[in-house]
Amino acid sequence: MTLENAIPNFADWIFDALRFLPIFIVVFAAAGFFIGFLVSAVRRGPVEGFYAVAQVIGSAVVDILNTSIRRTLAMAMLAVQESIRRKVLVAFAVFVVVLLFAGWYLDVKSDNPGRLYLSFVLTSSNYLVLILALFLSTFSLPTDIKNRTIYTIVTKPVRGTEIILGRIIGFMTVGTAILVAMCLISYMFVVRGLNHEHQVDGEIQLTSTELSPDGSLQGLTTYDAHHRHTITMFDDVSGETDVVMGHHHAVEKVGDELVVGPPQGALAARVVRRGSLRFKDRSGKPGAGVNVGHEWAYRSYIEGGTLAAAVWTFDGMTADRYPDGFNLELNLRVFRTHKGNIEKGILGSITIRNPNTGARIRSSEPISFAAKEFSIDRQFIPRELKAIDSDGTVSDVDLFEDLTDQGQLEVWIQCSERGQYYGMAEPDVYVLENNGNFAINFMKGFIGIWLQMLMVTTFGVGFSTFLSGPVGMLATLSTIVVGLFRQFIIDLVSGTLEGGGPIEALIRVLTQANLQVDLDIGRFPTLVVKFLDARFLDALNVITVSLPDYAGFSTTEFVATGFNIEPSLLAMQVIRAFTYFVFVTIIGYFFLKTREVAA
Amino acid sequence: MSESMTADAPSEGQEETSASDVVVETRNLSKVYRDFWGRQKVNALKALDLEVKQGEIFGLLGPNGSGKSTTIKLLLGLLFPTSGQALVFNKDASDVSKNERIGYLPEESYLYKFLNASETLDFYGRLFDMPADVRRDRVNELISMVGLEGARRRQLKEYSKGMTRRVGLAQALINDPELILLDEPTTGLDPIGTREMKDLIIKLREQGKTVLMCSHLLADVQDVCDRIAILHRGELKELGRVDSLLKVREVTQLQAQGLSKEAEEEIRAIVAKDGGELLSMENPTTTLEELFLNIVTDSEARPGRRAPSDD
Ligand SMILES: Nc1ncnc2c1ncn2[C@@H]1O[C@H](COP(=O)(O)OP(=O)(O)OP(=O)(O)O)[C@@H](O)[C@H]1O
Ligand SMILES: [Mg+2]
Repeated sequence: MTLENAIPNFADWIFDALRFLPIFIVVFAAAGFFIGFLVSAVRRGPVEGFYAVAQVIGSAVVDILNTSIRRTLAMAMLAVQESIRRKVLVAFAVFVVVLLFAGWYLDVKSDNPGRLYLSFVLTSSNYLVLILALFLSTFSLPTDIKNRTIYTIVTKPVRGTEIILGRIIGFMTVGTAILVAMCLISYMFVVRGLNHEHQVDGEIQLTSTELSPDGSLQGLTTYDAHHRHTITMFDDVSGETDVVMGHHHAVEKVGDELVVGPPQGALAARVVRRGSLRFKDRSGKPGAGVNVGHEWAYRSYIEGGTLAAAVWTFDGMTADRYPDGFNLELNLRVFRTHKGNIEKGILGSITIRNPNTGARIRSSEPISFAAKEFSIDRQFIPRELKAIDSDGTVSDVDLFEDLTDQGQLEVWIQCSERGQYYGMAEPDVYVLENNGNFAINFMKGFIGIWLQMLMVTTFGVGFSTFLSGPVGMLATLSTIVVGLFRQFIIDLVSGTLEGGGPIEALIRVLTQANLQVDLDIGRFPTLVVKFLDARFLDALNVITVSLPDYAGFSTTEFVATGFNIEPSLLAMQVIRAFTYFVFVTIIGYFFLKTREVAA
Repeated sequence: MSESMTADAPSEGQEETSASDVVVETRNLSKVYRDFWGRQKVNALKALDLEVKQGEIFGLLGPNGSGKSTTIKLLLGLLFPTSGQALVFNKDASDVSKNERIGYLPEESYLYKFLNASETLDFYGRLFDMPADVRRDRVNELISMVGLEGARRRQLKEYSKGMTRRVGLAQALINDPELILLDEPTTGLDPIGTREMKDLIIKLREQGKTVLMCSHLLADVQDVCDRIAILHRGELKELGRVDSLLKVREVTQLQAQGLSKEAEEEIRAIVAKDGGELLSMENPTTTLEELFLNIVTDSEARPGRRAPSDD
């Protein structure tokens, strides 16, 4: 799960947002007034210009107060009829065809077909719906102006707000209908695509493994859907298979026979508690993990057989939340400097520590585990643990009474094998609270797509109030691209990327100067170039930051990797999307109002 | 007390009627079309002063490109004036609320081709915030008025030009407007349709509505309009009552009956004094076509503003 940006706490976020909102509204209104005044002063002179702006603002208030639901819905209905006439259902047909073909193309031998299927259906629904919204929203109003059908609209008592809102509502109605259909079909596609059956293959035998030396009843399933599982029986009547390709099966005795149940766990919606991560270096001092050489490494690595450790601090760990202990899930990467036994996992240990340095008991005994690569290891941390006292004696302790300080505890993970490394990033280890409902989570993923569609539609209709169809479409497309590469642009602007601004970069390209040398164009020109570049980047920054963060709106990653989409994240997205909706609608209204539709 | 009230009330009421008497007013209205860079392209309308009063049928005449449609679009707020003012019901043309009382038939019927006639009218009815039952009755009424009962469920893209025009007209009347702006109402209509359109316009006047129409079909204008204005290259060339404009003042035609012998003798004597013979006595009327052509050729020869002879 590559969740690169931490999700802010909802309470903090909304507090910041509400504090920022009034300032934003004032700046927004002042900027709008100023730009309006400039434009109209150029046309009619300052005094007349001022009155014209005042009049437009006055009539805007009247228009907003007189906005009628019936008229808005009439415009919305027209937009729906127009969409149907423009054969939007083709988009849906494309989706169905894509899914039919995908059944053949998707790699069913993948390590995690669930993730693959989910990413596929979600991503394709997402892009198709956004493209649909893009085309619908940007061409409608310009076509009306070009065909002059707008003449018969604006000579009725229709307000600009109704023209814009009606379109957004209409296109969203069409989009929602299509998205709902896509959601249902995708769900069936994924569930059916992942379903398969196994039988018990051969005998269940007593075997001993490294982790259960006393032996357990084990067997194999038949080879179906490109894999087989190992069965471990808890007793004579029930057991479970291991996790292969992201799922496992329950095994149960029905009558005289052992029956392997349907696949489980491939479609999950884990509700998790996340902690914050810090590292100890190989001598046990605070430090960073090591980079094992991947250029854009997102994970840091800790070396085995040393004091290096990854330490997660979790808050809110209380006995009433976890009466029997808690489930810890680890999603570690393994980096081997020597091959070792490829079949076996790399051994490591988990230690629970009390963050309070003055506590009587600082640490539990290490719990050892083997890190399996490419699958999630689940470790149950029981309430009763063994601990080493400060004087070295081992005693029984209680997880919450002895190792937790005001709900806070630390989980230390170390690699035990010399010369091997564990790789991890903050989201890779978490406490599993419970398993949420996958279907609901799937729906939440589609709500994220819906919100993206809302923003594309809003921006599309907004741009179409003053741009022609194709230009408006390109403009809207740019907002999506900027939204998707937001982080890159912000890095560029904040100077994290080398090579300078656009003019400097161009000069470097032309003079073939590499990134390390200073520009060889004289001191003053360099200053000018740097100044212009800086202003350009400032402008870019303002634009980027004020456009929607489409990447951040994409919650499909959560669904595909099996994590519950937190309600607070969803709430933030809803608030953000509707804020854009409101402000872009207002801007669009003023553009439409001050536009000569017959010119 | 009561006396002063009764004395005040009528004068107040009179002032109100005389103020609201003027339905359309343009003051020094000018329009310059500009291109994207703000460069002047066409000076389509030059300082137009007009007043259209309540209950009048007013005709805007002029050759192609003389600024008739531009004037109507300015009055509707579809265009913004370059200078001057366009007032409708004493409100600025950019005021949306005036549209409640206006009906507009554009040059061509700009309607949604994917709707059928009743959907179209129902849609425009909704734009007037009309409740469903009122809308239904009104739509039925208008469809039978414009004679499209047989085609009401067919999409407009299948309609002939005249049929589209009829839907356009019905659309303009959906809100039972007080002021109707018709941009070339009879184009595309067959002779019967044209006749019906003229009858309709006259019926609208009988209902006390005001009609502002522009047309090249001079016969139509002559038949229905009370007053006309003639535009040429954006300038007002003539303005006045149709009957008085068409009078040829230099010629007097007399044709009398039932005159007393003495009176007749007297007239005859006057005529005979100059060596004439009286057949009849009246001002002959010219045709509007002749007037129109005269004005256009005249203004082509001597460009510039002509003082319109309003009465
Ligand atoms: N949108 C526009 N952009 C530029 N020029 C325009 C525009 N609309 C009209 N014009 C010009 O303005 C002038 C007046 O046009 P207008 O449409 O008002 O004429 P009209 O009297 O209605 O003519 P017609 O009888 O042909 O309908 C013409 O020269 C025309 O070319
Ligand atoms: Mg015209």
